[in-house]
Amino acid sequence: MKKRKIIQTSVFLTALAVLLGLLVFSVLASVAFGNADISIREVYSVFLYEIFHIKRFEEFASGPVHDVVWLIRFPRAMLGLSVGMGLSVCGAVMQAIVKNPLADPYILGISSGASLGATMAIVLGVGSVFGGHFVGVTAFIGAMTTSFAVVFIANMGGRANAAKLILAGMAISSVCSAMSNFVLYLAHNKGATEEVVQWTMGSLANTKWSEIQVVLPIMLAGTVIFWSQFRSLNMMLLGDETAITLGTDLHRVRTVYLILSSVMVGFAVYCAGTIGFVGLIVPHAVRMISGTDHKKLIPLSALVGAIFLIWADVACRVILENSEMPIGIFVSVIGAPCFIYLMVRRSYGFGGAR
Amino acid sequence: MGTQINDIEAKEIRVSYGIHEILKGVTLEAEQKKFIGIIGPNGSGKTTLLKCIYRTLDPAQGAVYIGGEPLTSMKPRESAKRLAVVAQHNYYNFEFSVQEVVLMGRSPHKKALERDNAQDYEIARRALQTVGMEAFSGRSFSTLSGGEQQRVILARALAQQTPCLVLDEPTNHLDVTHQLQLLKIVKNLGVTVVSAIHDLNIAASFCDILYVMKDGRIEGHGAPAEVLTTDFIRTIYNVETEITRDSRGKMHILFLS
Repeated sequence: MKKRKIIQTSVFLTALAVLLGLLVFSVLASVAFGNADISIREVYSVFLYEIFHIKRFEEFASGPVHDVVWLIRFPRAMLGLSVGMGLSVCGAVMQAIVKNPLADPYILGISSGASLGATMAIVLGVGSVFGGHFVGVTAFIGAMTTSFAVVFIANMGGRANAAKLILAGMAISSVCSAMSNFVLYLAHNKGATEEVVQWTMGSLANTKWSEIQVVLPIMLAGTVIFWSQFRSLNMMLLGDETAITLGTDLHRVRTVYLILSSVMVGFAVYCAGTIGFVGLIVPHAVRMISGTDHKKLIPLSALVGAIFLIWADVACRVILENSEMPIGIFVSVIGAPCFIYLMVRRSYGFGGAR
Repeated sequence: MGTQINDIEAKEIRVSYGIHEILKGVTLEAEQKKFIGIIGPNGSGKTTLLKCIYRTLDPAQGAVYIGGEPLTSMKPRESAKRLAVVAQHNYYNFEFSVQEVVLMGRSPHKKALERDNAQDYEIARRALQTVGMEAFSGRSFSTLSGGEQQRVILARALAQQTPCLVLDEPTNHLDVTHQLQLLKIVKNLGVTVVSAIHDLNIAASFCDILYVMKDGRIEGHGAPAEVLTTDFIRTIYNVETEITRDSRGKMHILFLS
């Protein structure tokens, strides 16, 4: 048993190291893809200059090539990393909280709350005082409001439990989508409708370093915090009653987890709109290999999610000539068949059948 | 004699679901590493009483004391160090390995960020060995049979290393061999045990003290030989019995129909 433990641990650490290496490679490699015709040599010259300030590459310190690589593509890869990581971790956490393999980060109605916020911002100009990125800000506010409302409702009339959270999430969710449809219906504004649709499909484009500076630390911190909570997350799957007999009262931690993951998802929505499916499929795929233990599941999901979204974004940039495919569409188109394949290939429970 | 760490005491417990009063002032004492059995017909409140003791249910009135301290003044972590539970339903909708399930029994002894160390693995291994499930350590819990799962859950409770143990009909899914094996293990642990038991013969042969429940009340308690009389069984269960002793002096209850 002890020997097996050592082997398991070293396999896990090796997997972490390999994925980490793959992640660094993905960020660097993804920058080389795009519509603008820039050679690989030029791309990495910009990198070398920006990171090490090597004199020899000074010609890449500014100019169009520098701007495309350093101000457009690189932050975009970092956003993909942040959002992919955050959504995957939150997906794993939500699945534990509601004890349901169908849960995703948006289960608390966050996506429809965010869409309602975005719709009101685009169509009615709500929140334009927030400046340039006011659509994202309003979406963030919508996301946070709905998730707090759901947590509050689920706690009414006794302690929140998995079923109450799901049902409250569904109810709030349908209210929000009804309201955003209503706003669109009343507005009769084709341009705005188009913009809303595009927003809900999600995109990593047009991000700035100033956004990354906020989002990346939040996602990293959230991931580390959830990783440290692996015991409670494991307990959640046993249910509240068993958890009490094992010394953990899940009620309070559950509320804290819900708030923390709402913040993470809220920021993901703020930067990239609602990208679906990542948070559902990545934890499942990882669970099939690593098992259900959150000590492994959380960090592996974070890395796999980050890598997945970076490459999904690359694919979106190169599939259509002179145009970009919305990443939400691509992820669903690719994700669903993979998901079905994984599901039918193995006798599938909630976690890795061995 | 002072209060011991392995004393369990439930005083005047009352529980209602809506207008139905399930427990109508139940008092139970378990001390000195005794094996306490709770018997009684279905719906008599056995499980509800046990749930109050292992604190997944708050009694409307009355209190439970472990080692003389009221349960309500203890943190869950503290009560989980004193009392381990093998509950009735242990169906899980996911896949943990047997080893992972047993290791969770160590969590009350762990700080939030502390990892399981070699000692925890050793405790888990020995717990699995005790219940005869060591070979299953790497298997997925959900692929085990009901009886095997029950033994793994017992191993998890053993890994908690508590002075008290609560069992809710622990032998439900087990075959005769494993029923006897499990109860022997429990009896030899040297801890205070409170267990709901269905089978009167098993209750008679393993328990030191029996509490008999009916309609949310304790109808009697005492040593099995005192409690399990033909008359008393008739009042509680409404069945006719004959009580005999075998060549070794062990009590047997025969049900006449």
